[in-house]
Amino acid sequence: MWEIGLQLRFAASLPDNPTDAELATECKRGNLRAYERLYDLHSARMKSVAFHMLGSHADAEDAVQETFLKVYKAVSAFEGQSSLATWIYRILINCCYDVLRRQQRRAEASPIRDHPSHSDLPLKIALRGALSALNERQRLVFLLFEVEGLKHSEIAGILEVPEGTSRSWLFEAKRELKRMLTESAV
Amino acid sequence: MKFECGDLERAFEHAQLMPEAREHLKHCAACRKEYRLWNEISSTARELHEEWDTPALWPAIRDVLGKLPNPQGRRPWWAAQRTWMLTAAAVVLASTVGVFSVAPWQQHPPQEGQEPAAVRPLASSGNRDLLTEQALAEVERTESAYRQSIDKLSHLAQSELLKPRSTAGVNCKEKLKLLDDAIAETRANLEQNRYNMRLQTALADLYREKKQALQELLTSDQKN
Ligand SMILES: [Zn+2]
Repeated sequence: MWEIGLQLRFAASLPDNPTDAELATECKRGNLRAYERLYDLHSARMKSVAFHMLGSHADAEDAVQETFLKVYKAVSAFEGQSSLATWIYRILINCCYDVLRRQQRRAEASPIRDHPSHSDLPLKIALRGALSALNERQRLVFLLFEVEGLKHSEIAGILEVPEGTSRSWLFEAKRELKRMLTESAV
Repeated sequence: MKFECGDLERAFEHAQLMPEAREHLKHCAACRKEYRLWNEISSTARELHEEWDTPALWPAIRDVLGKLPNPQGRRPWWAAQRTWMLTAAAVVLASTVGVFSVAPWQQHPPQEGQEPAAVRPLASSGNRDLLTEQALAEVERTESAYRQSIDKLSHLAQSELLKPRSTAGVNCKEKLKLLDDAIAETRANLEQNRYNMRLQTALADLYREKKQALQELLTSDQKN
């Protein structure tokens, strides 16, 4: 019987360029076209954010899938106080933290990896390595702002901090990255 | 203030210091190197955006979501009406029973030292079933009227659907076929269990979709 429901929820129409409110309404109705639109709009960036947080494509895809599941289950409580995108990224980041906590528990017995000196590597590779050595909040703000191109106002909404805090964490992140990248092997 | 090498980091944080920093950079190679690296971190960061194909990801998500119950657990409008009618029936029942149960008590209050009469059942289950049956019959009549109005709309849309080169007609025809099949199956299932609210909800959603599709078709016909 659910196949009929699935067909129906796929047959449900959606405006050509739905507003945030229209998308939220359709998501609340269970209209899978609305979720598909959200996927089309955000999945590329969501995958990239999750990849940088988790370090593997497979884990990133799992996190994106888990995020959509949580969005679906929680959307009836979404009241539009933030944009739908902000809310979804917040859920994604929490999903990634859940995975990280599980990974951390598994890795506790493993030896700590040495971070190589970054000074001799091409900048892109060195930056990727240095990024993984930042603390969580610095890495997250750097990822969202510099890598994914979000605005400080959007990041502030996702992380539920003032905009000034987002700017300040980004500065700390860049200062730390610069330090690591210029650090000589001497 | 005289801008010195140690001030460069503050200039990165506070943009208002940048004009002075730029003046300093003209004469200081070490700070120029720092400044270039600061900017390169941002430009290189954009290259770290990671893209890869995941053709199976959305279908997997869709399949999982499709198996979940509707987020709001919504009920069809005729179910809401049924609830309203049952509530009204309950009120009528309660007030009727109230007359019988309260009125005698008012007429014959227990005398001092006399035990109150044992509480009698308020209504027989037979009466309740009858009221539920009546309410459901009313729901079904309403549903039938709704279906007839959609049939009229279908009739009006026939000419648009029969136009050979109408893209809207082709798309809509496919969608209507899908909906009609689903409606037929749901109705057949409902005949086995008239009280199944999940099926009532599904049927209401299907009718609503069909109505919307027909209206869109007729509107597009008027626009063309
Ligand atoms: Zn200097």
